[in-house]
Amino acid sequence: MELRDSNYNKNDYVETASGNKVCRQTVLCGSQNIILQGKVIVQAEAIIRGDLANVKTGRYCIISREAVLRPPSKKFSKVVAFFPLSIGDHVFIGERTLVNAAQIGSYVHIGKNCVIGRRCVLKDCCVIEDNTVLAPETVVPPFARYSGSPAVQTGELPECHADLMIDYTRSYYQHFQPLPK
Amino acid sequence: MSYITGPEVVSYACTCGLLKPIPQLYFCRHCSQLRCGFCVCHEVDSIFCGKCSENIPSAEARVKKNRCASCFNCPSCHQELSTRIATKGPVVNPEDAKQPSPHKKTYYLSCYFCRWNSRDVGIPDQGSATGAWPERENVHAHRLQEIMDTYKQVMMSQKQQKENDKKKQRGKFVSFTDRTGVTSSAIRKRIGLPDIPHAMLKKPNPPEPAVAKLEVEELPDSLFTDPVNLLEITTIEQRHLQPETQAATVDMLFPIHKQLSIKRSLRCRRCEHNVSKPEYNPNSVKFKIQLFAYYHIPEVRIVTVEPLRAGKTCELILKFTNPTQHETTIAIKYVDLEQQATYVEEQKLSDVIEVLEQLSLQQPTSLPSLSGSQPSSLLSLTPRQPSITVKPRKINEEVNCDVAIPDSSFILPPRDDAAEYDDSTDTHNIEDDPKLVKWRKSNKAFIKLQVTPMAHLEVGKEVICGFTMQHIYTNVIATTIENKLPQKYEHNVRVFLRLGNVVGQE
Amino acid sequence: MPIYEPLSSEKLTVVLDIGTAFTKFGFTSEFAPRYIIRSEVRCKRTNKIRKLSSYESPEDLHDLLVDFIHAIYFKFALISPKDRPIVIVESLLCPTLFRETLAKVLFLQYEVSSILVLPSHLVALASLAVDTAMVVDVGYKEAVVFPVCFGLPIIQAWQALPLGGEAVHNHLKSLLSNANPGLQNLPEQILEDIKVRCCFVTKKSRTKSADIVPPPDVKYPYKGAQTLTVTGKVRETAFEVLYEEDNDHLCLSTMILDALLKVDINLRHSLTQNVFLIGGTTMTIGFKARLKEELLSQLKNEQYKMLNIKEFKFHVAPCKENYASWLGGSIYGATEFLNLKAVTKDFYLREKHLPDWINLKDVVGLKQDNGIRGAF
Repeated sequence: MELRDSNYNKNDYVETASGNKVCRQTVLCGSQNIILQGKVIVQAEAIIRGDLANVKTGRYCIISREAVLRPPSKKFSKVVAFFPLSIGDHVFIGERTLVNAAQIGSYVHIGKNCVIGRRCVLKDCCVIEDNTVLAPETVVPPFARYSGSPAVQTGELPECHADLMIDYTRSYYQHFQPLPK
Repeated sequence: MSYITGPEVVSYACTCGLLKPIPQLYFCRHCSQLRCGFCVCHEVDSIFCGKCSENIPSAEARVKKNRCASCFNCPSCHQELSTRIATKGPVVNPEDAKQPSPHKKTYYLSCYFCRWNSRDVGIPDQGSATGAWPERENVHAHRLQEIMDTYKQVMMSQKQQKENDKKKQRGKFVSFTDRTGVTSSAIRKRIGLPDIPHAMLKKPNPPEPAVAKLEVEELPDSLFTDPVNLLEITTIEQRHLQPETQAATVDMLFPIHKQLSIKRSLRCRRCEHNVSKPEYNPNSVKFKIQLFAYYHIPEVRIVTVEPLRAGKTCELILKFTNPTQHETTIAIKYVDLEQQATYVEEQKLSDVIEVLEQLSLQQPTSLPSLSGSQPSSLLSLTPRQPSITVKPRKINEEVNCDVAIPDSSFILPPRDDAAEYDDSTDTHNIEDDPKLVKWRKSNKAFIKLQVTPMAHLEVGKEVICGFTMQHIYTNVIATTIENKLPQKYEHNVRVFLRLGNVVGQE
Repeated sequence: MPIYEPLSSEKLTVVLDIGTAFTKFGFTSEFAPRYIIRSEVRCKRTNKIRKLSSYESPEDLHDLLVDFIHAIYFKFALISPKDRPIVIVESLLCPTLFRETLAKVLFLQYEVSSILVLPSHLVALASLAVDTAMVVDVGYKEAVVFPVCFGLPIIQAWQALPLGGEAVHNHLKSLLSNANPGLQNLPEQILEDIKVRCCFVTKKSRTKSADIVPPPDVKYPYKGAQTLTVTGKVRETAFEVLYEEDNDHLCLSTMILDALLKVDINLRHSLTQNVFLIGGTTMTIGFKARLKEELLSQLKNEQYKMLNIKEFKFHVAPCKENYASWLGGSIYGATEFLNLKAVTKDFYLREKHLPDWINLKDVVGLKQDNGIRGAF
């Protein structure tokens, strides 16, 4: 199916010079620590916790409504330390998903209502299906499809997944247009 | 995006007759035909561990039983285990806390999902992170090895005997000793040496047979009185994860080495060329050879479809995308299921002929019906056997919707990556049939089609329509080698669309 | 001259025992399977788990097996199947459709060089190093009894009844829905888990007397917050279905005795001295003790008095019972037998079928080179 246009209210979104479209109803803590590389969409009520550690996304990322990006923590003998969260290009993060991962590669699709546990590493080209709970410190290899709670690999992805994700995130961006007045 | 999460809406018929969405198809440039995972030959390309992303040579993987030496899975929930540091110094009294005591780092394994850890089952902490974690031995290994060795010997001597029998039949006067009646053992006796029976002819000692017992495991009486703690008893999954021990209680669960994963290369069975070959690096998502249909065959997507009513014509808008670097022309034709059927029949016929030919060739060499040993061992030495192609089958899809076939065809310009950044709407100056082409941009075109679900369809029934997409494929394979102009030819693909369900009358 | 041909020991050969519920997978000359996995595949189209035994048509079975063997080789074995031999352990009562389809998949789809098909009851004895025994295989779908004498299964004496894990699950399901009203369709996975973790085979004496103290109840967590009470009575009676005589007065114990009746009188004694229980269901706590009790009490019946048996002796496998036949396959597959008796690709392409004991044409062919019996 070809994507439909999804419209937004022009007053609700800020569009930056690099093409990022960020909703005004988001919570971006520590915004000086948040880097959006360009053409990134952050939708309403998403939370990005830049105050804990750096958060960096690549180009053409989509952070859906009510998603939470939270840099992972690790408890040491005396202190709790936070690590930066880095996300590659062409990544889709579904609605109401909590991301605590240390690293998300490029061309990753994360469905709705997922919990990505602390310090998980998602390699390039993987899919986390809707309603998945990924246990902390899980490593998701390339071309794997994970689902369930706790998540296990349930399938493989076609080899051209990277191109599918490029096409998907690009056309999502193109179809994400302000409401005509 | 239906390819990643949703149902398969648009499917293409592979040459073998299976319907697959386009990302799962391959296009063999050498045969110029579609292939899918079902009709290509899969091969193991490289072996790696999915957690530590290390490539492991196949010989090493075999020794390690296809498991990673350093990564473990939880025996309780089968998630990955993490190594944690347990700083275990000497017991420090509060009084000498000021004196720094030599700390020794030790490690234990812990599951972050179900909180299982290696201390639960009494595995001592290890001094190094990769740790020489204790392994379980099979208690019956010695006995079983003995039995297996005996069986091997028995079969060996049987084979030897068979070969000897063959030898005897072959030549009557091979050995002088046979002729003179003086056997080697007779000579040995004569010159005063002890008689040594031939090593191969010696009957192996059969292993001590197992002794059956009168007693069997009795039911423990405590079962009738003691309450059951479910948390202490393992589930069948947990037991099967460790087939050797199959522990019944959780305190006997040991960490499991993580199973390795593979990268696969795919090979066309007809021409033995690779259609997919991944890069060696486990983290890489690139390919050395990537003949995916997604890069060669125009992609069809449903944009909109009017509400479907039985017997009523409605408008369907499809988006065609040309993924290649060459201009192509697309024509839409009737889908002919008979064609596949005849193709299947043809293949069957040619198969029969092939078998007959093979038979006539093989007849003199292999008369006995169960000639087992020799061919198989010889076969294994040859590097590659020609593949058996998978038999095509009929397309198993019921088309219940007519497509009005347009008279004209349309052109799709080549893909231009730079156009993504170019916002100007260039139209390539292509003259289009306005009835057919609704709108176009760079290598994409939106096409209008009239479809009519069949009149007898009930409300709620899924509507499936199909057509044959004929496109001009430009094969560049010869150009690089022989400096020829790229070859162009027509290629037909059968495309099936699931349009949705029939709705009631207005 | 080396005793072992390096060629055969170097090559990894897969041993597969495809059961109705679980498939045992491993390599030859290893003493335990690498994996015991459910015999099921995930349907690509609907993303639902489908059992191998749930096939609707031969083509459907073919496709299921293609996916299943694919997972075996590329997820677990991590070797290419092409031009390698494979050892299949199967029941002598395996449906022709299943074995032919499996052969088709292995030879034509995966292009294995040869298939060695081994009868599960016979090869299970390899780990004991005995050649005469009464082999009782209680698996998921059915219980099958085969007397094996001097390395030959006595085919005319086989007994089979649909008594196995599945029967226990169904029985347990009705017991549980009686005890907990409103619980109708418990999924099989949960039934299996309750069976494995809570239930056991009780003593014969307890089934007769009415006033016994049932074992303690178990609170089984179900659907997150709910609990399901598995009463003590359910726990100890779930397996009774295997020992209760059906309308034809047949049950697990009579099967063994009926099989004995059908073999030669001179063989009976050695068979009773060598009873070998295999299959996952026999691993239940108390199963063997109860079976022995039942056998001895059945002997008092009129029809079995003529057997004139006093006792039964049971073998203890040097492995877990659920992979006893697999282990046999592993041992046989490690020997030269693999090269001598396997059905080669050439043979299959010529004959288009697997030799089978029910096929007269093959039996004649097999008689010419007498089977494994010749080894002993």
